[in-house]
Amino acid sequence: MTMEETVARYKEDFDLFPSANDKIEYIFDLGKKHTTLAQEEKNDETFVEGCASAAWLVGECKDGKLILRGEGTSEMAKGMLTLLLDIFNNRTPDEILSFDPAKLHEMGVVELLSPVRQQSLEAFLKKVYEYARKCSEELKVNNQK
Amino acid sequence: MSKSSNNEKVLEIKDVHAKIGNKEILKGLNLDLEPGKVHAIMGPNGAGKSTLSKTIVGHYDIEMTGGDILYKGKSIKDWEPEERALEGIFLSFQHPVEIPGVNNAYFLRTALNAKRKHEGKEELNAAEFLRTMKQHLEELGMKSDMISRSLNEGFSGGEKKRNEILQMLILEPDVIILDEIDSGLDIDALRAVSEGINRMKDGKRAFLVITHYSRILDYIKPDYIHVLKEGRVIKTAGPELVARLEETGYDSIEEVQ
Repeated sequence: MTMEETVARYKEDFDLFPSANDKIEYIFDLGKKHTTLAQEEKNDETFVEGCASAAWLVGECKDGKLILRGEGTSEMAKGMLTLLLDIFNNRTPDEILSFDPAKLHEMGVVELLSPVRQQSLEAFLKKVYEYARKCSEELKVNNQK
Repeated sequence: MSKSSNNEKVLEIKDVHAKIGNKEILKGLNLDLEPGKVHAIMGPNGAGKSTLSKTIVGHYDIEMTGGDILYKGKSIKDWEPEERALEGIFLSFQHPVEIPGVNNAYFLRTALNAKRKHEGKEELNAAEFLRTMKQHLEELGMKSDMISRSLNEGFSGGEKKRNEILQMLILEPDVIILDEIDSGLDIDALRAVSEGINRMKDGKRAFLVITHYSRILDYIKPDYIHVLKEGRVIKTAGPELVARLEETGYDSIEEVQ
């Protein structure tokens, strides 16, 4: 499933819910599948600067793909991380870099987030695209060798 | 009737005596249900039809004073109602209860996930559940606002009964007891409810249809008709018995000892 297809699947899921509250609650529900990071992985380098609640994101370039793992501390962060990792994790850096994050609005939930939470999303995306650019450069260097 | 448990019988009701308050209602009732079969229970008012359904599910109104009930070969007479439900026994209420403030979809998802957990299956998330629920709502001709309304609150008689069938379709029970599911239904609702029930007829589930009227049996074809009178099954026959009952009434039926 491409990133766009994953977004479309989430749009279908969110469309099932009759009210904004139900959609937000579904984000919390997704957070039940949230994974955690080892304590030593939660450091300054992985800290997502600008998130409303503390969150960390690990990005590793493996076999030509960017592997993302994260941990959030609030229910909302856990849910959003689970959702976003489903879209961004295990993709090639080129896939991520050519994906327009504005497409996330198609899910119909970004606009339901409070301004503070929207900032958190921006902070997350900034971190993801940083990892993707770094991974892309690593791959280019490796290919030139 | 065999005294030993039989795998072909999903439910065995053995010489059951039960009372409500001080009044004995069931007086040595015997009945076996087999998977894939539809058993209709008919009988005059006060014969014990609803008491029978309540006794099977362990309703708190009932005190079972004798006999035994085996479900899949195990005695369930000491099981709590919720254990019976989790194991796959379902009763659609004659008068479904209204619970204001409890969202219908939440209620159903909680019930389904409790059953799935009991069966060692993964719980469904809200989107997975709603997808299933919407499909069933469409099939039952129910409006999608059933998702956000409170359980049975302000529902019409037909909506309440359809909602009972919705619960049945979602929970996929093995023993399905329908206590006067046809009462208060207009012809469209009766057809929708019957179609829902018929969709569950996959050869694996047993049905106990309790009714006063033969009308629903035109839609849900029974394999057996049991006539209940004064707390006992006094006659068991094939579906041909319905026509005779319609013609001559319950008084014409003599107990077969």
